[in-house]
Amino acid sequence: MGFVDSFKQNFIEQDRWHYLANGLGTTLLITFFSVLIGMVLGFIIAIVRFTHDKTGKMKVGNFICRIYLTVIRGTPVVVQLLIIYFVIFASVPISKIFVAIIAFGINSGAYVAEIVRSGIASIDDGQFEAGRSLGLNYRQTMISIILPQAFKNVLPALANECIVLLKETSVSGYIAVQDLTKGGDIIRSQTYSAFMPLISVAIIYLVMVVVLSHFVTKLERRLRQSDRR
Amino acid sequence: MIDVKGLKKTFGDNEVLKGIDEHIYKGEKVVVIGPSGSGKSTFLRCLNLMEIPTEGTILFEGSDITHANDRDINLMRRKMGMVFQHFNLFPHLTIKKNITLAPVKLGLMTQAEADKKAEDLLERVGLPDKANSFPAMLSGGQKQRIAIARSLAMNPDVMLFDEPTSALDPEMVGEVLELMKQLAEDGMTMIVVTHEMGFAREVASRVMFMADGYIMEQNTPKEFFENPQNPRLREFLSKVL
Repeated sequence: MGFVDSFKQNFIEQDRWHYLANGLGTTLLITFFSVLIGMVLGFIIAIVRFTHDKTGKMKVGNFICRIYLTVIRGTPVVVQLLIIYFVIFASVPISKIFVAIIAFGINSGAYVAEIVRSGIASIDDGQFEAGRSLGLNYRQTMISIILPQAFKNVLPALANECIVLLKETSVSGYIAVQDLTKGGDIIRSQTYSAFMPLISVAIIYLVMVVVLSHFVTKLERRLRQSDRR
Repeated sequence: MIDVKGLKKTFGDNEVLKGIDEHIYKGEKVVVIGPSGSGKSTFLRCLNLMEIPTEGTILFEGSDITHANDRDINLMRRKMGMVFQHFNLFPHLTIKKNITLAPVKLGLMTQAEADKKAEDLLERVGLPDKANSFPAMLSGGQKQRIAIARSLAMNPDVMLFDEPTSALDPEMVGEVLELMKQLAEDGMTMIVVTHEMGFAREVASRVMFMADGYIMEQNTPKEFFENPQNPRLREFLSKVL
C-alpha cells in the first residue's frame, strides 16, 4: 500500500483524523491546566520550604511539603494517576480529564517546587537585606524583589518542566482518557497499520515541543533585558 | 537618637560584640574604624536589626526596637537608611524603579510623587540621565550613588553606611565619598563603617575605634588621629596611615 493510500486509510476514511484532532485538544487541555496547578502548587511549596529554612517558621507546613515531595517524586506518575482515578475518586462520578489534570498537576507541583526553591536560594542574601532595610516586610520583599529574580533564573528549567509534562500526559490512556497518544493508538487498532498514526502522533508532539521551546527562548531574551550592559 | 545599652552579639560560639553602650545624637557623623573581625559591621547591622542582638537593648528615637514586633521593626527601618558594601541594587528593575519601589509599595507616595522624588534624587547624586538604565549598565561608583539615592527616597532620619567604598575600584571611591560629604553637610545623621581615614578626619564629628568586640576609644577626629591613647589604636593607625 502506497503512502497516499495509507494516509487516506488512516486519516480520511471514516474521518479518523478526528481521533488525532480531539486527542490533541484533550492533551493540550490537560497540559495547560496541570501546568497551572503545578506552578501554583510549586510556588507555594517552594515559598513555604524557603521561609522555613530562612526563618525557622512554618514547621508544620514544611513537614507536610516534605512528605508530599518525597511521595510524589518517589512514585511513578502512572501509578499516581491510577491511584487518583481508581482509589481516591473511585466512587465519585467525575470527568476522567479532570482526574488527569489533578494527577498531573499534583505531580508537576513537586518538581516545580524544587526548581523554584533552588531559584530563590540562588538570589543573593543582600537583595533580601536591601528590601528589608527599606522597611518592606518579608512578604513584600519576596513578591517585589526575590520572586521576580528567582523566576527569571529558573525560567528555562520551568519551561523544561512544561515540556516534560506535555509529553507525560501521554500516559492518560491508562485511565481511558482519549488524548493524542490514545487517539493514534485507536486508529492503529482500527486500521492495523502502526506506522502512519504513531509517527504522526510523534511528529505532532515534536512540533509542539519545538514551538514551545521557541517561545521560551524569546521570553528569556526579554527577561534578560536588565542584564544588558 | 540611638541609644545602645549592653549590646552583645554571638554567632555560634563566636562572641563578636561583647558589650557596647553608646549614644548617637541627632546630626552626628560617627565614623567607626577598626581591623576586620572587630565587630564594627555587626554593630552597625544590629542598629537596624539586620542582625538580632543576643543581649542588650537599642532605643531608636525613644522606643525600644530590640523588643518590638515585626511591624514596628519595619516602621523603624523606614527611618534608618542603609547602604551596603555590595550596593544590593535590584538588578531586575530600572534605576528609577529601584528608587521608587519602597515608597510606593509602602504607600508613602503615589507613583507620580515617587517618580518626581526619584528625579530630584538622581539630580542630587549627579546621575539624572540614568533613570531608565538597569543596574548592570552602571559602574560601581554609580551603583553606590544610586543605592544612596534609594535610601534617601524614604526620607530617613539616619543613614547607616556599611563599608560603602570597600567594593569599589580606587578611582570611583572619590565620587561616593564626595556624595556622602554633601549629605553630611546637609545635616544628615550618619554612622559610617569605613577604612577611609581621610573621610573620617574630614567629615566625622566623632571617630570610634572598635577591636575585639568593644569600642576601645573614641574622640573628635583631631584628637583621635593626633593623640591616640589606646595601644591597639596606635598600632592600627601606624599600619593604615
